[in-house]
Amino acid sequence: MTKTQKQNLDNVIRYTLLTIWLLIVLFPLFWIVATSFKPDKDWLAWPPVYWSEEPTMSNYNNVWGGAMEHTETQYAQSVQKPFTALRNSTIISFISTFLSVSFGAFIAYGVSRYKVLSETRMFQLLMLRMVPPIVLVGPLSLYYTTIGLIDSLTGLIAIYFITTLPYAVWMTKSFIDEVPIELEQAAEIMGANRWTIITEVVFPVIRSGLLATFLFILILTWSEYLVAFILSKTDAVTLPVELAKYEGSSEGRVYGRQAALSVGITIPLIIVGITIRKHLARGFSFGMIRK
Amino acid sequence: MARSEIMLQRTKRYKKMVLFPLIASIMLILGPALILQLYLSFNYYSIYSEGWWASEWYALDIFSDVVSDSRFHIAIVRSLGFALASTIGCFVIGFGLALLMYKNFRLQWFYYIIFIIPMLTVPIVIAYTAEMILYQKGPLNGILSSIVGRDMLIMWITNPDIALFTVVLMEVWNWAPFSFIIMMAGLASLPKEPVEAAQILGASRFKIFYEIQLPLLRPIIVLALVLRFLEAMAEFPKTWAIFQGGPGTATETIPVLIYLNTWYYFDWSKAAAMSYIVMMMMVVIILAAIKILQKENKRITQAQAS
Repeated sequence: MTKTQKQNLDNVIRYTLLTIWLLIVLFPLFWIVATSFKPDKDWLAWPPVYWSEEPTMSNYNNVWGGAMEHTETQYAQSVQKPFTALRNSTIISFISTFLSVSFGAFIAYGVSRYKVLSETRMFQLLMLRMVPPIVLVGPLSLYYTTIGLIDSLTGLIAIYFITTLPYAVWMTKSFIDEVPIELEQAAEIMGANRWTIITEVVFPVIRSGLLATFLFILILTWSEYLVAFILSKTDAVTLPVELAKYEGSSEGRVYGRQAALSVGITIPLIIVGITIRKHLARGFSFGMIRK
Repeated sequence: MARSEIMLQRTKRYKKMVLFPLIASIMLILGPALILQLYLSFNYYSIYSEGWWASEWYALDIFSDVVSDSRFHIAIVRSLGFALASTIGCFVIGFGLALLMYKNFRLQWFYYIIFIIPMLTVPIVIAYTAEMILYQKGPLNGILSSIVGRDMLIMWITNPDIALFTVVLMEVWNWAPFSFIIMMAGLASLPKEPVEAAQILGASRFKIFYEIQLPLLRPIIVLALVLRFLEAMAEFPKTWAIFQGGPGTATETIPVLIYLNTWYYFDWSKAAAMSYIVMMMMVVIILAAIKILQKENKRITQAQAS
């Protein structure tokens, strides 16, 4: 075999394997989009209906348009409040992420410049993230009930703030480490105090990093299920929890509605994630991988 | 004042400024829950009690009950098995894809963007979508049937022998991108000279991979495996939403079992004692993992600095 032949063969193998995985990745995504346009008779048809012959917007109208349907199957509209869930998810994830990143950045600055946390302490901080949340949510829900924080936005914001803090500290530290110390020394000579140096020299230099950290943590908080599921009942329900409510008592799961809601929940995350794709490896590795 | 002294004072002041709120918020949010967890493990609390404060002192009875519970033992083994299998699955696929893709080629950006989508998808959405795809007369069996040419009706969800494997499949679909992006970053940061030198000396591709690239990648491989394993130990939404521990107890992992005990059997004390044991177990695992990460992180930092 000549060298070009070998290269061609390489390419064929590469594209074949990559395309197989591509199809595996895309099929569930396609399926959920397709289902969101299907009328209910196609949801569970055999042989499966890949794309409905009578595509309908009724699932979207029902979920996002607030259209009430009084057909023979009543999907218990009263308990489903997708807009409340959307509002809750937005408030909770934005506020807790903002708190986590801004506080995290101050800690990170201290660690980077003054070593306020030793390396061992920094790694111990990861515990907040790595201990499975299930071991604490039970007692936490009792505690929240006692102090009146159960089913409240504040309660969820507090817990998300504390559990995403390790990501915030580690990720922002990886950006602050890259800021040359000379910049700060120059500002210091000109008489700036610590606060001014941090907020007006360091943070502006790493603003794209801060934004990436913010969006990264936003993705995690937005998709969190377990904690929200347990600490919310009706008022503080978030979108992932809301999704489980599209389950009728007699007709089983309401596939089309769930699909329409799922598409709405997921698309913003995919867009955000693709925008910060260069920083995802850094985020998921707690800033240990920096390229 | 000497410069170093000013520095020392500043450090102290800054330390106070950030550590106080950090410790305070941990104490305020998680502290009471940790105390309650311990309290419930020694005092029997059920929903018939007036409140958790009115529960009855059981000493070590609840713990001994949990320790001898075979369902709990099996759940631990199942969780470890699940975490291990899905970690390996994610890693093999993620690393494989990264190896196929790390050298520039025309559609690299396109594949990269598509391949990261699963980990950006909300896990609970993945669970419900999987259920739509996997039920017995669903599209996956439909596709398999048309490939094989006869009806393939695999019971992905209702067969207890397959159910846990189905969860592993979901987890791998969801998180293979995690290994993929980390290994892509790792491969991109490898120095080119040793590989080129070996090529000139006529080493085979396999030999170059096995003897040069793999050892250099070791710290990053460890990172990808350890972080994924820990996250998989905590997996809840995908296991819960479809299976609720069933069929039978086939998918009863640690998180599911604790959930069932708390909110289905209302056996809060048993769940608390279980949680306590699991937490201690996880702390030991995490401390070991941290030790490994700390060591490998030094190597990663060194490699990236050079």
